[in-house]
Amino acid sequence: MNAQLVLTQLFNGLILGSIYVLLSLGLSIIFGMLGVINFAHGAFYMLGAYVAYTIVTYVFPNFWLALFLAPIIMALFGAACEFFLLRRLYKLPIIYNVLFTFGLMLVFQDSMRMIFGSMGVPFNTPESLVGAVNLGFTYYPTYRLFMIIVTALCSLGVWLFLTRTRLGAIIRAGTDNSAMVDALGINISRIFTLVFALGIGLAGLAGVLAAPIQNVTHLMGMDFLIDCFVVVVIGGMGSIAGSIIGGLIVGQIIAAGIIIWPPIANTLIYLFMATFLLIRPRGLFGREGFHE
Amino acid sequence: MKKIYTFLRVTRVLVLIAAFSLMMVPTGQAAEPVKVSVLTDMSGPYAGITAANVEAAKLAIEDFGGKLLGQDIEFVARDNMCKADVANQKAKELYEKEKVDVIFDCPNSAAGLAVSNQALLHKRLFVSIGSGTTRHTGPDCNRYTFDWAYNDYMMATAVGLWAAENLGKRWYTITADYAWGHDLFEHFTHALKSKGGTLLGNDMVALGTSDFSPYIIKAKNADPDVLVLLNAGKDAVNATKQAREFGLKKTAKIIHALLFIEGIKAVGDVFADDYVTGAWYWKSKNPGSREFVNKWQTKFNKPPNWMNAATYSAVTQYLKAVDRVGSKAPEAVIKALEGHTFNDLLADPGYIRPEDHMQVGSAYILRAKKSKEVTEAWDFFEIIDEIPAEKAYMDAAKTDCEMGGF
Repeated sequence: MNAQLVLTQLFNGLILGSIYVLLSLGLSIIFGMLGVINFAHGAFYMLGAYVAYTIVTYVFPNFWLALFLAPIIMALFGAACEFFLLRRLYKLPIIYNVLFTFGLMLVFQDSMRMIFGSMGVPFNTPESLVGAVNLGFTYYPTYRLFMIIVTALCSLGVWLFLTRTRLGAIIRAGTDNSAMVDALGINISRIFTLVFALGIGLAGLAGVLAAPIQNVTHLMGMDFLIDCFVVVVIGGMGSIAGSIIGGLIVGQIIAAGIIIWPPIANTLIYLFMATFLLIRPRGLFGREGFHE
Repeated sequence: MKKIYTFLRVTRVLVLIAAFSLMMVPTGQAAEPVKVSVLTDMSGPYAGITAANVEAAKLAIEDFGGKLLGQDIEFVARDNMCKADVANQKAKELYEKEKVDVIFDCPNSAAGLAVSNQALLHKRLFVSIGSGTTRHTGPDCNRYTFDWAYNDYMMATAVGLWAAENLGKRWYTITADYAWGHDLFEHFTHALKSKGGTLLGNDMVALGTSDFSPYIIKAKNADPDVLVLLNAGKDAVNATKQAREFGLKKTAKIIHALLFIEGIKAVGDVFADDYVTGAWYWKSKNPGSREFVNKWQTKFNKPPNWMNAATYSAVTQYLKAVDRVGSKAPEAVIKALEGHTFNDLLADPGYIRPEDHMQVGSAYILRAKKSKEVTEAWDFFEIIDEIPAEKAYMDAAKTDCEMGGF
């Protein structure tokens, strides 16, 4: 075990965390605002990858176009899901939307299996990002560096949007007390649609970003979903900073686990979560009385 | 006059009925038709590979002539959903309710072992194809179970020995952390050690891991000649994609435990220049291979994979054995299969070892072509070498199999 390998692993953990950040960010703001535990989040991520594949293969063979279009298409699709389906469940106990989004996930997965088959579809790294960059301590794939830049920009963008804009202020207010915001004359249901669209758009973006380095199959979201719940729980329900820090922590834990003892790497995040919750039951940035 | 006509008409009907019922009277054993069944994964993770085994079995029956012991051969197929409990239940139903004489296939090793146990209980045949565990021909062998075309030992040993000789002796392995992966790891390292190679490292990786980059970085750091990926499906694609991303494919060759033409078709260039063992390839020149492939191509517009070919071969050899002994009584058929040598599309020659019921034949070393090398649709592999059965399979004396009686 040498220092260079450890450094490389920790750096890689950072990048591993970036996909978690994008996914948990959406999961967290949807939960914070709508009170919906979105079990279909991983499936939306998977759909993002398939939309990108469809664009690259059948519309115009350009990764950048797909990177730009797929999240927008997914956001619109998310908005439609919220407007036509999810909206009907807000007044019912939370178990209804858990069951509903779980069902939605199965529907999405099986439709992709029926259309594209169970073996997955090909997706290549864009030509301009093939290769590796010398970081001094290691050669690292250019594409992964690009991923972390996109994630950082998106996280920053979402954070600025929520803290520095009027709309963001309304969303934050709505997260605290949606009935009050409604009473102040703001159309809260439109805000709900917007938040859901934003969350799904981020999941879609994560899907496109992951497509070149992962097997694009109908099940690709499954493994990530559970990890993302761990991130949200560690970070604190509904907190943006929590998702970002939580995502990066989980990435680091996996990387560290693999250095220490690989078989425990995947279990380690659950151990960490359990211990963490004993000490801080609300997670890193969870607020008292929020969805409790 | 009218009465006579009526009388004649009634008589004619009666005679016809009598004649018909005479034809229906069972005449000893031959009256019960031979009933063949395939129990395979039609909706689980291997469905893309194994669901077509049903068609392969049907084709084998059709090519055999559709009749045996003077009766039409009957056929049923069931889905094991790749689960051991489902397989166990379905096998029970097949033997008891459907009264089948033989069950073929059953992917997923735990499922295969469950069916093997049912075969022993019901004293009827089971020919394992999809499940690769060596336990079928090892500690869990029984007189009613045969193992066709491959097992994990052969998949590991053939390409393992070849790679140690031709690609390099310094290996790094990444293993799926469950029974199948562990089994393969043991066989691959055994092959490596027998050639005097060194294992630089191994990582046991949880099933369903989507990012292999930390393992790939470790492997790259060890700088092996050969990276051995002991995983399948989605995990294999992820690991291989990421090995290429980190430039490991430039410095090391990759060998796989299992790879099918359908897998390569789905993900494009990911597996280019990787190596794997195959029990058969559709470009094979074995007798009857070309005809089988042509028929398959016209029917399904794609060539069969080696599991499909193995099913066709197993069903054909079973029907031939029944035909040879003139009875479908399990004991007689089993005795006819034990020690039998044949030449067909799958194996030329193929031999059914009486000691452990393993059907052995030579193994192929396949190299996945780069997409620009693929000139004919679906021709994704190049046959690099052929490993004779004696080298590819464990010596029958060493298998821990104590073959029981009937």
